[in-house]
Amino acid sequence: MSELPAAAGVAEAPAGELKRSITGRLLFFYVLGDVLGSGVYVLIGAVAGAVGGAFWIAFAAGVALATITGLAYAELATKYPQAAGAALYVGKAFKNPALTFFITICALSAVFAASGSLATGFARYFGSLVPVVPALVVTLLFVLALTIVNFIGITESVVANMVMTFVEVAGLVIVVIIGIVHLSRGDADPGVLAEFSTGGASPIFAIVAGVALAFFAMTGFENAANVAEETVDPSRTFPRALIGGMVAAGVIYVLVAMSAALVVPVQTLAEAPAALLTVVEAGVLPVPVSVMTVLFALIAMTAITNTTLVSVVTQSRILYGMAREDVVPRVFARVHPTRRSPHVALGFSAVVVALLLVVGSVVDVGDVDLVERLAAVTVVFLLFIYALVIVSALKLRREPAGPDAYRANTPLLYLGIVGNAVLLTYVVVDDPASLFWVAGLLAVGVALYLVQRLRGGRRPAAAGRE
Amino acid sequence: MHVVVATDGSVQSLDAARQLKAFADPAKVDDVTVVAVISPLAAVPFVNDLGPAVSGVRDPGSLSFRQEAHDATSAVMAEFEGWGAAVHRHLRSGSPAAEIVRAAVELDADLVVVASGGQGLTETVLLGSTAQRVQHSAPCPVLVARPKRAPR
Repeated sequence: MSELPAAAGVAEAPAGELKRSITGRLLFFYVLGDVLGSGVYVLIGAVAGAVGGAFWIAFAAGVALATITGLAYAELATKYPQAAGAALYVGKAFKNPALTFFITICALSAVFAASGSLATGFARYFGSLVPVVPALVVTLLFVLALTIVNFIGITESVVANMVMTFVEVAGLVIVVIIGIVHLSRGDADPGVLAEFSTGGASPIFAIVAGVALAFFAMTGFENAANVAEETVDPSRTFPRALIGGMVAAGVIYVLVAMSAALVVPVQTLAEAPAALLTVVEAGVLPVPVSVMTVLFALIAMTAITNTTLVSVVTQSRILYGMAREDVVPRVFARVHPTRRSPHVALGFSAVVVALLLVVGSVVDVGDVDLVERLAAVTVVFLLFIYALVIVSALKLRREPAGPDAYRANTPLLYLGIVGNAVLLTYVVVDDPASLFWVAGLLAVGVALYLVQRLRGGRRPAAAGRE
Repeated sequence: MHVVVATDGSVQSLDAARQLKAFADPAKVDDVTVVAVISPLAAVPFVNDLGPAVSGVRDPGSLSFRQEAHDATSAVMAEFEGWGAAVHRHLRSGSPAAEIVRAAVELDADLVVVASGGQGLTETVLLGSTAQRVQHSAPCPVLVARPKRAPR
């Protein structure tokens, strides 16, 4: 860690004018930390319930599909390194301003929903330590706290980001160790890893259901595009760090899933509000359960906090970018005079997420819980975005790229489009009610656009012309 | 001597550059290096409030924070045009205070000029400003330009 500060000065650009700070190693940990926090701590119980003991397969498949999408992102981010992501790529590929606007709104909605889901997951772990505070209060305070942290600007600390990633990995290593110890004692039945709880239906459906949920666990990798512009030697570093981070996260997920299935009955995992805690509470390690529970809950909350922080950053950055393009009211581009953070965009994002949480806790239907519902909503948006990003990567092959730009494997990209499309169809068919949430979030974006139009701003059509 | 002038794209940072010019002897300043630091992980890595208000970025999503930082340094560099000293640009990325100090060390600066816009609670109680952190660990004297208070 001591050599980190020096890394910032390593890349000597011509005349010493430019110095980029994101090295391959930093990017790797950024991706790993961002990805790890999102899913496994929050959703592992739901995936286990959907698939059965073999739910590690769902994680493996979800990771594989996400990594293919990651290849497309790597190709595009090295080709167009501006800190932008999906909206820029789709804009360049299709040159259709309405579609670009729609993708931007989708990306914004996806992070809103993801933040809501993560905040709810945070509250579950928090509730295991301090049961008296109502979950809704915890989630709202959590969102408020992260917004303030972002306003102050603590997130700019690269070192803090690495420390949080180490903590996240440590938590998952604990789970894997528990699994190994349990297995080596001969207490576990490895046969559970091949069991499907499908109730007679084909295991394929069970796996697809699991993958749809497990996919949420991989979200966050696309935020790497945020820092592409500041990456040292991007055409070489970026693909390696991005794919490396995703694969590392995937391996950890599969091991954690196997471990959890070996130690705790799948039924217990599926029903527990904070599923990974049940693994720790199984008392496999010779450490008092109460100590482990507190420690692990803290680790889980750190992990979720890290990922939510990045999504809060992403929300305000998307809003800021749209305001700069005059697509949404200009006020979102306003930055605080001394803290230099987009306080209006941050505040608005917090309000939207808070509304999601309040609506979710007041009106939500009984059978699907809020974490899963918001995760499904996130996944709907993301699958659509990911599929379009891959299509954009293929379309943009016609455009000239730099001599050493990264080029993804073409058949894999086609496989990625099919995979994303299949999953998207499944999620929508399986949980049509999530479409109401999708529509609600899209309405927020459209409302902002209409406000801007009515105040005499430009259409995205005009903004999009090159 | 070599003066490092930091800008975060704010109007205050431009005022700081002007304050340097107001009292410093151009004959004694050989080099002025304008430094801007981009914070890649922050919500908005760099904002340029200097120069003409650009209405609408042409290409959707093409907003480049590096370009913003470049433009901000250009605006500050223009202040020193014809002043006498050789003017340089230096863009870095990372944590602003740490990178300004590092730039001062690398460039063997004799003076660092920063603006401190803060008057509020967040500056004094919560974290301290970039200016405070720079003067705490800079390898040379630091000129901290404060905003003028409105007369009461």
